[in-house]
Amino acid sequence: MARSHNPVSRFGLWAVFVILAVLPLILRGYQLRLVTEVIIFSLYAVSYNLLLGYAGLLSFGHAMFFGTGAFAVAILLEHFAGLPLLLAVTLATAFTTATGFVVGCLLLRVKGTPFALLTLAFNALFYAIAVKWSSLTGGDDGLIIDPPQLDLWLLTLDPNKGPDFYYLSLAILGPVILFCWYFTYTAMGRTVLLMRENEDRMRFLGYNTLLARLSLFTLTAGLAGLAGSIYSLFFAFVSIDAISIETTTTVLLMTFIGGTGHFAGPILGAGVFIYLQNFLSELTENWPLIMGVLFILMVLFTPGGLVGIIKGAAQWTASRRKTPDLRKGAKNRHAHSGS
Amino acid sequence: MSDIAIFFLHGLAYAGLLFLVSSGLTLVFGMMSVLNFAHASFYMLGAYFAYWLLQITGNFWLALLISPLMLLVIGALVERFLLRKVHVLGHVHELLLTFGLAYIIDEAVKLIWGTNPHAIIISGFLAHTVNIMGVTYPVYRLFVFGVSMALGLFMWLILFKTRIGIIVRAAVEDSPMVGSLGINVPLVFMGVFSVGAALSGLAGVTAGPLLSVDPGMAGAILVDAFVVIVVGGMGSLGGAVLASFIIGELQSFGVLLFPDFSLALIYMLMAVVLVIRPEGLFGEKQ
Amino acid sequence: MPILEAKGIHKDFSGLEVLTGVDFQLAAGERFAIIGPNGAGKTTLFNILSGAFSPTRGNVLFKGEDISRKPPHLRNRLGMSRSFQITNVFKEISVFDNVLAGVRSREGLRCHYLRRPFKNRGLLERTDEILMQVGLENERDTPAHELAYGQQRALEMGITLSTAPDLILLDEPTAGMSRQETEDAVQMIRRVTESKACIIIEHDMNVVFSLADRISVLHYGVILACGLPEEIRNDQRVKDAYLGQDNQ
Repeated sequence: MARSHNPVSRFGLWAVFVILAVLPLILRGYQLRLVTEVIIFSLYAVSYNLLLGYAGLLSFGHAMFFGTGAFAVAILLEHFAGLPLLLAVTLATAFTTATGFVVGCLLLRVKGTPFALLTLAFNALFYAIAVKWSSLTGGDDGLIIDPPQLDLWLLTLDPNKGPDFYYLSLAILGPVILFCWYFTYTAMGRTVLLMRENEDRMRFLGYNTLLARLSLFTLTAGLAGLAGSIYSLFFAFVSIDAISIETTTTVLLMTFIGGTGHFAGPILGAGVFIYLQNFLSELTENWPLIMGVLFILMVLFTPGGLVGIIKGAAQWTASRRKTPDLRKGAKNRHAHSGS
Repeated sequence: MSDIAIFFLHGLAYAGLLFLVSSGLTLVFGMMSVLNFAHASFYMLGAYFAYWLLQITGNFWLALLISPLMLLVIGALVERFLLRKVHVLGHVHELLLTFGLAYIIDEAVKLIWGTNPHAIIISGFLAHTVNIMGVTYPVYRLFVFGVSMALGLFMWLILFKTRIGIIVRAAVEDSPMVGSLGINVPLVFMGVFSVGAALSGLAGVTAGPLLSVDPGMAGAILVDAFVVIVVGGMGSLGGAVLASFIIGELQSFGVLLFPDFSLALIYMLMAVVLVIRPEGLFGEKQ
Repeated sequence: MPILEAKGIHKDFSGLEVLTGVDFQLAAGERFAIIGPNGAGKTTLFNILSGAFSPTRGNVLFKGEDISRKPPHLRNRLGMSRSFQITNVFKEISVFDNVLAGVRSREGLRCHYLRRPFKNRGLLERTDEILMQVGLENERDTPAHELAYGQQRALEMGITLSTAPDLILLDEPTAGMSRQETEDAVQMIRRVTESKACIIIEHDMNVVFSLADRISVLHYGVILACGLPEEIRNDQRVKDAYLGQDNQ
């Protein structure tokens, strides 16, 4: 049950931490920017998977929160000169969280397919607002941001420098992603999972499932908003693309390619997606078509995503090494059951 | 006064188009519990096929006939080789599949026909105007409304007055039972899905001369069609008729009265329905 | 004061009157069975007591508080718990986590964003205790759907007990069981409901007569007779309405 006691995963965590810390010494310029992008989209995808993989809520509108965070930080920095960077990010995240709460109050009145449909409709509404309210959002031209320097006690980080921004995003988003991982073991994290399994029974065990769902939805909105705000600081620019259905599709593809059945799935998916996109877009303009076909193939043939393939392969090698233990295999299939 | 008449007629034409799009969507959802996110993309394909057929044959009526048939085939193939495969994995995967399909179609359309808008030019009596309620009005817009009315009536007759309708509705209620009575249930589902696709194709052809044929047309209609089925109640044909009318007129008069907020009106309507009656006007409680 | 009191419960479903004025009282620690022929309204009454839906008219008082229109989760928090006739467990989740869900709910550890249930020794011990009570201590890590039918029923019972209720509502706890399984289940129910109030809806007369302290017979939406098992066994009206025609 307590995976944190597993020495292998603890060692793996430290290894990842050390590698991430020294990465700017190895990678330069564009390569480092790609890694930064992966970190940003990892949080976006992890927040999405808390909805899809853990709570079983299929949303086609996660970009409305990503985009709200992205615009909020840009607008704040434009209108309040001298606003400290971290305060701007905090305010943008808070604003997105509040937005998520309001939207959630409306959307969570329905479940299942109607919920999926409404998330898409609301995403379209947010997009339309961003286009129409051009005095605030810059409309089709977008907004250019001049991210202020970040002065900490000892060091000063300049968001316009690649390595500085890398460390900045790692320092902010890394702990948040770790919290999300921790969250899956908390009372609320487990409750969300149990509700996906059998919401009706949860009600008869004293759980206010409506409130729990709203609470989770609000959390994931806030997380997506945080990712969005760092995203627009990273590019020092935000366009209406950030709040479009395409950006929802992006997170959906990332999460699904990586696999919804494991916490690390969306992170893996974000990495694979960004590097694949980077690779394909150099070959052809029609890379979205290839992504789409890849996505359909995965829906058809590997519903567990890359993590599902890895798990399957691990099980296969394990079963070859020793006599098959059926019970163990059964447990692995239910990664979420926390065995 | 004549302004109001024109905007009312505009509203009717748009309502007709909305019903053409949402009827197929709501038919498939009501019968198969699958929300087809690719429906608007099928609609767009219908319009592009019509454009292509017009270039070859120059006959709009032929396009109006053949384009839906092409979509019928596409719908059957999609159901047989894609949708049916993920059915066992549950609704989430069905939704993901149709969503991915929409994404692919939208990209493929850009690849094949480019991103520039095309126009479908109609000729003959459809291109004329007619004097109605004291105003001169294009025949084609009335034609759109007429087609949607005829379709609505036709669907109602098929579903509720014929043996086919009874079989389809029974297959939805209790597929194992109907299956054991010797009805080929998968075939029924394939039929329903491909008819839904054909309806979207019909809507696409009809929309062609009214709007421009461009890669953004799917996204533009999708949300309006979604609002129609949310307001009307998911899976309810009667609800789709009423909601199409309300939203068509709201859209039309919204442009007249509050040009900047016409879109907001529709969303406000949807929000109000959600708060008061989440299952929609004619929908069943979850 | 009775722990549960039903006062003039009416329920109609769009014109169809299923319950037409049901009254009864239940004392703390009493095992109470509701029987009746098919279509008498037992399930409807059960659903009204447990909160699945509200009565059209009438009131349900639990520990003196009117709960007629309270949602299920609030009823549970007041100390009421129900089982399901069709096994209603968390299928993909381990037996232990199934029961832990209720145990931590009782302690208010439902939606906490920081505290982890598996770090709370008290909760884990309480969960193991319940598993022991229902005889599933050897299956704690098995996913619920891999259990045999009888074990799933035991888990159903374990989940029902997990919120440490003062009143337990059992919906046909032995449905679909073999004779041996039924006997074991009756033993278990007797053990775990010791000194707790309990309402049982059941078809199996042997189960009812061996478990219940008091029995009510529901017939066409009203209570026809109410009394000790012996009284019910000898009641002519009950025989006519129920035992005579259908003694399962």
